[in-house]
Amino acid sequence: MNHLTAETFDENAKAALTDTHLRGALRNATSLFGERRRAAAASLNNWEDLRTQARAIKDETLSHLDEYLMQFVGNAESRGVQFHWAENAAAANEIICGITAKSGAITVVKSKSMTTEETHLNDALENTGVKVVETDLGEYIIQLAHETPSHIIAPAIHKTKAQIAELFTSELGSEPTEDIAELTRTARETLRDRFAAADVGISGVNFGIAETGTILIVENEGNIRLTTSLPRIHIAVMGIEKVIPRFADVDVFLKLLPRSGTGQRLTAYQSFITGVKSHPDDEGPDEVHVVVLDNGRSRMLAHPVTRQSLACIRCGACLNACPVYQQIGGHAYGSVYPGPIGAVITPQLMGLEKAAKLPYASSLCGACREVCPVKIDIPQLLLHLRGEITQGATETVSQPARRQAEKLAFRIWAKVMTNPKLYELTTRLSRSLQWIVVRDGKIRDKPTTQMFSALAAWTSGRDLRPLETTSFRERWKTELSRGEEQ
Amino acid sequence: MIDSANQNARANILGSIRAHLGSSRSGGTPPALNNIRATASENGSSEQTGSKIEVFKAQLEAVNGHCLIAQTELEIVHALTRIMTHLKQTELDPKRVAVSDARGLERLVRLIAVQLDEVTVSPSASDLFSFDVGITTAQAAIAETGTLVLDSSRERHRLISLVPPVHIAIIDAANIYSTLGETLALLHKDGNVSPIVSFVTGPSRTADIELTLAIGVHGPQELYVIVNEGQPLALV
Repeated sequence: MNHLTAETFDENAKAALTDTHLRGALRNATSLFGERRRAAAASLNNWEDLRTQARAIKDETLSHLDEYLMQFVGNAESRGVQFHWAENAAAANEIICGITAKSGAITVVKSKSMTTEETHLNDALENTGVKVVETDLGEYIIQLAHETPSHIIAPAIHKTKAQIAELFTSELGSEPTEDIAELTRTARETLRDRFAAADVGISGVNFGIAETGTILIVENEGNIRLTTSLPRIHIAVMGIEKVIPRFADVDVFLKLLPRSGTGQRLTAYQSFITGVKSHPDDEGPDEVHVVVLDNGRSRMLAHPVTRQSLACIRCGACLNACPVYQQIGGHAYGSVYPGPIGAVITPQLMGLEKAAKLPYASSLCGACREVCPVKIDIPQLLLHLRGEITQGATETVSQPARRQAEKLAFRIWAKVMTNPKLYELTTRLSRSLQWIVVRDGKIRDKPTTQMFSALAAWTSGRDLRPLETTSFRERWKTELSRGEEQ
Repeated sequence: MIDSANQNARANILGSIRAHLGSSRSGGTPPALNNIRATASENGSSEQTGSKIEVFKAQLEAVNGHCLIAQTELEIVHALTRIMTHLKQTELDPKRVAVSDARGLERLVRLIAVQLDEVTVSPSASDLFSFDVGITTAQAAIAETGTLVLDSSRERHRLISLVPPVHIAIIDAANIYSTLGETLALLHKDGNVSPIVSFVTGPSRTADIELTLAIGVHGPQELYVIVNEGQPLALV
């Protein structure tokens, strides 16, 4: 039930709205995250400066992405990291399956990575007979439940402790308990064996530092440290946009990311991995591989508006701030990336035709832009994508007549609104004729009659009140003359 | 063959980046951003006005860590003894203790006045899973966030600090820095960065179940830091 697609967004959203449990969980989560974020941002005296700086660093990187990416790769390669380039999801999965197969790995441990969710890596690995174990507690829960993440940083936000307790009892045979500390301990104990047995650890990358060739990964649980330290082979998967130029830039992003994501000053752990270990006896993996993924990202560089999408640092703040996400949650978006940022990234990654409804899943209130730590103008992006979608739609033959009618309607409307005489005439005419489309006190057309299909489409999601029997101007006149009489 | 496929993919991705950047790329070498980088220090609230050690302690305790301060070597041993005595009364009974290879550390641990079943220096990774406590030093600390900085090229503590349910770290007071920015500059001061540097801020934590904080998921459940104000440990 959770493998929804972006194409059925309207139905997904409607179903989510009837799920009172989900809405309660979302209300708690998004308001708590929101409050923590506000408090954490206030602990710095220059939050706005930091946002501006972070965006400037990202803009600089993106406008020279080939150079910074190659600088990163060159520096990491000189420290023994092996690089693999993947133009799309299938290529990335093939590369990773190849490395795992060559290593003879039976078990792979994974730490949370949105990028590997994007490529559906787990399915690909399982198809080669490898056992994949998600180790982030939230990811582990949804893996056991065969679901998908519903929030970028809190993947199991939609599940109650009762559901999780039931899941652990049936899947892991643990004693039934709703004690959260106890449930956490069960996961710890179970996953310890997996960590000890794993030959390959797969992680994401938060930042790739060009100047030093360092991979920086941020977390709270310690599963990333285990994933990148214990198995013989570490594979890190990164989108091309994860590069930042200088080591010192970490200062800015480590102040913004934890505060925006969870409201922490700093998450519990940051791992700075620069190349492979220098001596064979040292702790840590023998091999470090980095898979560099494009998968539609380079296309976003073409336009300054869409390019902003690549500045995202995946903090999830826009999800928590979004009045739409707050009501429907992550699954309804039918995409790995939900919420406002998902509504702009998904259509660009998957193709506009597959996610054409997502850019409309917003009231354009701008809350996402307010909280974004890298100042992505998400409303601007949404409008840009809506423009591309309408442009695309006029070119297709499906509804050219309706588009023409809509254009004509707006032209007439403009004419009427700029001419007082014409306006008065039209309102009079509308008032006497509106009974044709008024049902139950609202202007709407019955699906059975469909006399005005454009109007029916417009009013299907909106309430439009009928015109009053007398206009304001008329009332003004009569009331005024009555006043003079008295 | 695989190599050439990789070469092709690389050329295609870089080609696509260049093509899509097209004329819009800002020309020449990337501009230096140093002039716009503001110093992003924390607000000057009351907790920040104390000494670096006080700030460090307050921040560490705010994230569920424990901080003890020692003036002499003897006080470090006392602190270790106090921690072990306390742990004995909990479910985290410290029977097997793993110690990193930091200079002078094992000797101090052997002086702990609590009966321990085993003290082993640098046990193997697979053994480590059955240890109860890991004791290490830290190469640096960040006061404003209560963070330990572990440079695992200078000490074998990548796993000892992570796998056992209790981590005890000793930090020389002289190695506590005020800010994150200062510490980053230190880590990068010769233009190189050590192969594995870990920042540790408090015990392992999660809020993945109903956003309720649970301490000690994959990493340590308890983190103790002993700040050594006396002579640096390695010199003792």
